[in-house]
Amino acid sequence: MHSMTIAPPNPALPANSIASTQPSAARTEAPAGLSTLRLSTPPVPPDTCVIDVAQLFLDASYAGLLSLPIVGADGAPVGMISRYELMRVFLQPYGRELFGRRPISLLMNRAPLVLSIEASIGDAARAIAQHIRSPITDDFILVEDGRYAGTALVLDVLRAVEGHLAEHSTELERAYVRLKSSQAQLVQSEKMASLGQMVAGLVHEINTPLGYVRNNVEMTRAVLADAAQLLGAQQAALDALLGGADAQASLDEVDVLRTRIDSVALDDIAALLDDTLHGVGQIGDLVLNLKDFSRLDQAGAQKADLNQLVASALRIANHILRKRGIEVVHQPGELPPVECAPAQINQVLLNLLTNAAQAIEHERGRIVVATRAVEGRAMVLIQDNGKGIAAEHQARIFDPFFTTKPVGEGTGMGLAISRQIVEQHGGAIRMTSHVGQGTRFVVVLPLRAATQEAA
Amino acid sequence: MNGALPCVLFVDDEERILRSLRMLFRGRAEILATTSGREAVELVRNHRVHVVVSDQRMPGMTGVDVLREVAACSPATMRILLTGYADLDAMTASVNEGEIYRFVEKPWDAQRLIATVEQAARIAMDEFDVQASRGAEAAPTANAIADAERAAAHVLVLDEDGAIAAQVRELLPPAVAVVRAGDLESALDALATQEVAVMIAQLSSADGDVADALKQLKRLRPAMLAIVLSSLRDSRLLLGLINEGQVFRFLLQPPPRELLRRALIAALERHEALRTQTRLLRRHDVEAPSRAPAATISARVLGAWRRLREATVARIA
Repeated sequence: MHSMTIAPPNPALPANSIASTQPSAARTEAPAGLSTLRLSTPPVPPDTCVIDVAQLFLDASYAGLLSLPIVGADGAPVGMISRYELMRVFLQPYGRELFGRRPISLLMNRAPLVLSIEASIGDAARAIAQHIRSPITDDFILVEDGRYAGTALVLDVLRAVEGHLAEHSTELERAYVRLKSSQAQLVQSEKMASLGQMVAGLVHEINTPLGYVRNNVEMTRAVLADAAQLLGAQQAALDALLGGADAQASLDEVDVLRTRIDSVALDDIAALLDDTLHGVGQIGDLVLNLKDFSRLDQAGAQKADLNQLVASALRIANHILRKRGIEVVHQPGELPPVECAPAQINQVLLNLLTNAAQAIEHERGRIVVATRAVEGRAMVLIQDNGKGIAAEHQARIFDPFFTTKPVGEGTGMGLAISRQIVEQHGGAIRMTSHVGQGTRFVVVLPLRAATQEAA
Repeated sequence: MNGALPCVLFVDDEERILRSLRMLFRGRAEILATTSGREAVELVRNHRVHVVVSDQRMPGMTGVDVLREVAACSPATMRILLTGYADLDAMTASVNEGEIYRFVEKPWDAQRLIATVEQAARIAMDEFDVQASRGAEAAPTANAIADAERAAAHVLVLDEDGAIAAQVRELLPPAVAVVRAGDLESALDALATQEVAVMIAQLSSADGDVADALKQLKRLRPAMLAIVLSSLRDSRLLLGLINEGQVFRFLLQPPPRELLRRALIAALERHEALRTQTRLLRRHDVEAPSRAPAATISARVLGAWRRLREATVARIA
């Protein structure tokens, strides 16, 4: 059928493809009207005889048309006659002879599809879908104020619709790309936000021991200077006494110095040095934990001790937990090694611990962290006795951007990212919560990494 | 310190910090120490404590909470925050609610901490002495607005577009003069010729002239109180404004109306107290700026700065 379509010989006729004639108009007019598809097909009077109508179908100016409009003397369309119908009649024995001289009104479709020229392409597509049956034998008539205004091709409507769809789909594709990149940005900013929070906590955790370490060292240095001076004076006094010289001056100096440094001061210094060693050890631990935590020096997926990851996350979250005076009940169970990306699992654990801590607004905060092996899977349970999650929020907590925190405090991506990480590992994350009693998160991970690469 | 030692209270949830500080101040002060904020407040209620040095991040009660309560129950006690890390919100609260004397970071410099605490102790001891000789000091019940009217004190607003000045104008009764300066140069000119009680400054850059000028101004005009409005969440900037500028209030922009109004009233009240009881000025004394004034004030405003200095010298003479 398409191969039959040839360019209309009459330049007054608009081309029958919207895309080729008015590409820009089609794109800007949304939704484009049927007027853009209009063909000024000369109408056929109802009394035209069948043979003459058949002749018209052979005329180049009607080529490409499935059917011709039949329009009464008053300008109102009364029907359509299709090539298909004519062919059906002519193929009957003596069809041509029987019907050739009869008026076309006898054979025409009296209920053709008639649409207002102001209708949109979308309306036309819907009307076509309702009216026209397979095989497609008719095109349709356009009217303006009830009077014949031309015809339009079903095929053109399809093309126009397809053009729209293509356009929409590029737009959708663009929107998708935009969304995707902004999601990546959000994931990044969530990472930065938790990083910022973590750094703030760590800075405090490190500066506290650093505070007394530095102070203790400064004081020790002062005491040592005094001690050295005392030792010098004592030595001088001893030398004088042994040499039989006058030792009084040296002894006086020793007396003065003794008031500044005595065994009590030295004992104090010993205690301060113990503290100092403790502080240096603490800073060292923190740095080690931080390195372990970020796994900067380790490969992606590996066999890891989940209990150790939990301990490490607890250490990192310590400042948040301690600041809120939360009691942590750590119940590590026996676990085989779990194949996972430790840095990612750490991120999940830290996120859950932080959420748990932030949910606690009273002073008897308690977080239970337990691990268990269940049927070839490892399970981490994190339960708080905080305010709980409102029933209407429970279904949405894993949704990206969903947050109950004040604007600017949470990106709403924490749990969404956590779930993504756990699912990439072939695991699952579940939550149960009761308002006023607390919330429990359970993370289940397969012991063997999922086939999907957890990158 | 001859005879009586000042009483210094240290508050930190880390025992080792307390032990270390105890040792540092041995012989220099009578020392109280606690790991609990709650207990710290109790100690201040029951002892004459000259200086409180508190950590910020502690379980139960934060340092700002402690200092706020201390300020309420013992206003003569000087308050210092000694912390390993404070976010901007905590710092802002320490200024606006705790009205702290110094913000000191851990790890601290031993000699500087001693000097800071001893200076604070001297100021508090004098204050307590005055109170003792006068009996219980009557709380300033005077109407700050009326005082401001009487003293013909001006409120100077340094903002480029005039929006803040308009708001300040609207918040204060007509009798209190509100002067607007579009830039630092004209602000300094206004300061040279008028008695300014409160200066409200919009701060749009952390290392511009305005921040430096505010620090210098506190030395030239200690009774003038500065309210800084800024959208910069820069803790370095605020640290400098506290220790070197004794900024009176720090409000994030745009300031809620009521907050700005309360800050203005509090500043006018404090100015009146400082004007009539000049010994109180010492409570707002500042650390030497890290950079010299001539080097920091740009050439453009240097002329206005000189006029201001001359005016100040002339007034004192």
